[in-house]
Amino acid sequence: MNPRRVAAVFRRIVAQFRRDPRSLALLFVAPLAIIALLGWVLSSQTSGSVRVAIVNESSNPVGLIASKLQSALSQQTGVAVQEWTIDEATARQMLKDQTVDVAVILPPDFSVDNPKIEVLTLGLNPAGESSALPALQKALLGLEALGNGDSPVPTIERATVYGSPDATQLDSLAPVVVGFFAYFFVFILTGISFLRERIGGTLERLLATPVSRAEIVLGYSLGFGFFATLQVAIVMAFVLGRLDIPALGPVPAFAIGLGVRTIGNPLIAYLLVLVLGLGAVSLGIFLSTFARTELQILQFIPIVIVPQGLLGGFFWPIERLPDLLQPVARILPVTYAIDGLRQVMIAGADLSSGQVLLDLSVLAGIAAFFIALAAATIRREVA
Amino acid sequence: MAVTSGPAASGPAASGPAAPAVEAVALRKDFGSIHAVDGIDMALPPGRIYGLLGPNGSGKTTLIRLLVGLASATSGKARVLGVDMPSRPNLARIGYMTQADGIYPELSVWENLSFFAALYGQTDRAVLLRSLELVELDGRLGTPAQNLSGGMRRRLSMACALAHHPAVIFLDEPTVGVDPALRVQFWNHFHRLAADGGTLLVSSHVMDEADRCDELLFIRDGHVLAQGAPAELRKRAGTDNLETAFLQFAGETAAVPETTSAEATR
Repeated sequence: MNPRRVAAVFRRIVAQFRRDPRSLALLFVAPLAIIALLGWVLSSQTSGSVRVAIVNESSNPVGLIASKLQSALSQQTGVAVQEWTIDEATARQMLKDQTVDVAVILPPDFSVDNPKIEVLTLGLNPAGESSALPALQKALLGLEALGNGDSPVPTIERATVYGSPDATQLDSLAPVVVGFFAYFFVFILTGISFLRERIGGTLERLLATPVSRAEIVLGYSLGFGFFATLQVAIVMAFVLGRLDIPALGPVPAFAIGLGVRTIGNPLIAYLLVLVLGLGAVSLGIFLSTFARTELQILQFIPIVIVPQGLLGGFFWPIERLPDLLQPVARILPVTYAIDGLRQVMIAGADLSSGQVLLDLSVLAGIAAFFIALAAATIRREVA
Repeated sequence: MAVTSGPAASGPAASGPAAPAVEAVALRKDFGSIHAVDGIDMALPPGRIYGLLGPNGSGKTTLIRLLVGLASATSGKARVLGVDMPSRPNLARIGYMTQADGIYPELSVWENLSFFAALYGQTDRAVLLRSLELVELDGRLGTPAQNLSGGMRRRLSMACALAHHPAVIFLDEPTVGVDPALRVQFWNHFHRLAADGGTLLVSSHVMDEADRCDELLFIRDGHVLAQGAPAELRKRAGTDNLETAFLQFAGETAAVPETTSAEATR
C-alpha cells in the first residue's frame, strides 16, 4: 500500500467532481430540495385540523350528549367541529362534498348500555383518512363517562419515552433521510464514475500502472467519503438548523432549514453515515462490473435502493414486516444505519450503547465485505 | 524490485545487452474456443522498434495485454526485462499506450498527466513538463482533455504512457486517427526513444508504417507468420510490397513461391 498512489487517486476524484457541476448539484442540492419538500408536506399535514360533523340520531337529550361531544372535541387540538344536529344522509353528503373529513354518528339505539358510536369517513383513501383519526379518538375516549350525568369529561394525557408526544413525523424521519440520501447518491455516483473508467479505457491504463486494486478502492473511498462528508454536513445543518427570515415587502416570511429537534450527537450520526457510505462506494464499483452503460447503472436503483427504502425500517418497523421478509431486511445495510441513526438522534444514545455499537459493527462488516468484492472484481479482465 | 524512476535513459536492462527485453515462451490465450494467441515464441533484444503487424482480430492487442500483464495467459510465459508477467512492481518500467485514449475528459492536460505519472512514482514537475513539450502540449496545461482535438488527445495519451521514462514501451495502434504530419512526429519520437536504449513494440494494421520499424512481426490468427527486418521480409517473399509479402506468408495468394510457403510454417 503506497499512500502517495492512494492520494493521487483521491485528488483525481476530487478534481473530476469540481469539473462536474451536475454531479455536485445531485450531491448537494437534490437532497436539500427533497428534504425541504418532505418537511413542507409533513408539517402541513400535521397542522391541518380534522373537520368533524356530529350526527345525533339517538333518543338521548340532544343538548346533553352533543354538548359533551362538542366540548370534548373542541378541547382536542387538531379537531374542528363543523356541524351538528343533522341527519346521517346530510353528513354523508358533506363527506362527499369534502366539507368535513369525519362524521361522528350516535345511532338511534345509542344508550348507556350500548354506547356504540359510528365514525364515518369517505373511504377513497382509508389509510390517508385514518391519519385524521388519532385526534378524534383521543377526544372520544373521553366520552366513556357519558352516562354519568354531569361528571366532568376525563382527559387523557399522552406521554412518550423518547422525544415528545408532539413529535411530528418529520422529527422521526429527518435524521433517517440523511443516511438514506448519502447511501443513494454515493452509490449512483461511484457506480457511474467507475463505469466511465471501464468504458473510457482509463481503467485499462490504471491497471497497467503499479497501482494496486486495494489502492484504487481506497482512493475511491476517500474521494467519495470526502464528498459524502460534505453532503452529510450540509444536509444535517439543513435538517437540524432553522433560520427564520422575516417578511420583507412582497416576500412573505419563510424559514431556511427544518429545525428538527434532536438530542443526539451529530458526530456519531455522521460516523454511522460514513461507514454506510463506504459500503456504498464499494457496492457501486462492484455493480459497475455488470453494467455496460450509465443507464444500466440507473437500472440497479429498483434492485438496490428501493428495497432498502421499503424494508429498511424507513416506513415500517422491521418487526412488523412479514416473517419471510424480516431476514431480508436484516441483511440490508440501510436497516442498521436507520436503527443507529434513530437511536442516536431520537433516543440520544452514544457509543456506550450496545445497540449503536452493534449497528456500527454490522455496517463496518458489510463495508469490508463489499470492499473485498470490489477489489476482486477490478481484477476481472477488461475487454 | 519497485523501480520508481525511469531507467531507460541509462541503457538497456541490467541483465546485459544479449538478454531479451521482451520474451514470450509458448504463450497462449484462449477465450472459450477461440485461440486469440496460439502459442507464440519470441525473444526481442532491447533498443529497437518492433512492429506488430496483422489484420484486425489477429491477436495483436491480446498479445500486448499478455505482455503487460493485464490478461493472464492460458499457458506459456510472458516476460519483460527478465521478469515474469504479470508483475505489478515491474509495471513501473513499462509504458503502455492503449488503443483508446484512456484519459479523463473532465481533467485538464496537466491533471491527466500528473495523475498517471504519480501512480508510476514520477512527480518531478520539470520531467512532466518536458514530456508535454515533446508532444507539443506544453501550451495547454489547463485545457480540459474534452476540449482537445483528436490528435491532441492522442498526444496526451502518449505523454501519459511515457512520462515515467519506461524501458519497455507497448503502443497499441498509436497512430490510428492521427494525421500524416503528426504521424511523422510520432515516429521520430519513437526512434529517439529507441536510440536512448528503449524497446518499443508498436502494433499497427497499416503496412505503410512497417518500414519505420527495425524489425517486423507478421501476426495472424494468434500465430507469428514471419519475423525480420522489413528489407529481409521483402527479399524472402520476393516482392517490394509488404502487403503482398504479408499475404504470401499467410499462404493466401495463388502464386506462393516455394520459399515463402516454407517460411509460413515457421
